[in-house]
Amino acid sequence: MRQKKPVQDQPKAAPILAQMGIFAAVLFVSSLISPLFPASFPVPTPVIGLILLYLLLTFHVIKLEWVDGFGSFLIGLIAFLFVPSGISLATSLDIMAKSGVQIVTVVIISTVLMLVITAYTARLLIFLHQKLKQFSTTEHRQNKTRLLLKKGGI
Amino acid sequence: MTAALSQPLFGIFLSLGVFLIGQWLFKLGKGFFLFQPLFVGMVLGIIVLVIMGKVMGTSTATVYTKFYKPGGDIIFWFLNPATIAFAIPLYKRNDIVKKYWVEVVLALVIGSMVSLFCIYYVAKGFGLDQASIAAMLPQAATTAIALPISTAIGGNASITAMAVILNAVIIYALGDWLIKRFHLNQSKVGVGLGLGTAGHTVGSAKALELGSVQGSMASIAVVIIGVVVDLVVPSVAHLLGV
Repeated sequence: MRQKKPVQDQPKAAPILAQMGIFAAVLFVSSLISPLFPASFPVPTPVIGLILLYLLLTFHVIKLEWVDGFGSFLIGLIAFLFVPSGISLATSLDIMAKSGVQIVTVVIISTVLMLVITAYTARLLIFLHQKLKQFSTTEHRQNKTRLLLKKGGI
Repeated sequence: MTAALSQPLFGIFLSLGVFLIGQWLFKLGKGFFLFQPLFVGMVLGIIVLVIMGKVMGTSTATVYTKFYKPGGDIIFWFLNPATIAFAIPLYKRNDIVKKYWVEVVLALVIGSMVSLFCIYYVAKGFGLDQASIAAMLPQAATTAIALPISTAIGGNASITAMAVILNAVIIYALGDWLIKRFHLNQSKVGVGLGLGTAGHTVGSAKALELGSVQGSMASIAVVIIGVVVDLVVPSVAHLLGV
């Protein structure tokens, strides 16, 4: 129904229950792997599941159309799924009442810091890498001309 | 009355109701940032619980555990498959991952180290006590990683939980404005990584709205930053003498 254009090679999405089955299976396997990590190095089930599903997709064990529909649906819901976490702050109202203004201010500043610092660091590193690549290719070219000049007997 | 309220249905209904009101307000306010549905939903939900506590003569925490949590937990559980789902946008832009993986890993490690020092001094500057400062450090990771690490370095775990949740709410509400203000969208990879680090999965959803590259980078940030926090925060905390 979604695909109105008569595209023949468009792969057909798997039935939604089958997609849910794949998600459940990945989660289940991840929940078996998660406790294997030591307590000082916690890796939660959903993070393992993310890596697992990514690997299954990358190595073509699972086809994209088997998980895409349900996955996009869940991602579209993420803000709503976070509402209970937000409301759970009702239990921290006493902390907030004590030194809440400072803590909330620090959290707001921290969030902005993390966003901006990470974004700028990545931008700088990509810029440096590109400069480095340019530099090495020009140097390579210079070496080559030098070699050619040497061969020419200059 | 109380028996009916302690069914999971109440928590689900309240979550849906406040979020829908949030969506309606957001549309009405033409996208005013304080009317973001998640933020409105959270504030309204807490207000409802506080009023219920006052009416019933118990504490808000009791109302939360007894009446809201059964339903809230059901919705909360779906964050598990929703987090896994971020493998899909990541896979869709495997070309970017292959091209930039060195920069991505380096940016996340260096970025989070720099952020940690900044957060430490900001927290100290605001005069927070040791347990609160320690609680601030692991907030880049998701709750399941941040809470045990926070406890391990002597932090107050409930403050960490609050910080992690607030990160997401703040990014969801202020993300667009911050991106514009700091001209972050000049580097798609950078803004994606930043949103994933600062806003967790909610930040990743925001990044996906900006584009597929941003979304995939935010997804990879959620994974790698978890590992980085696991490895780096305890030693940095030790170094800073927290």
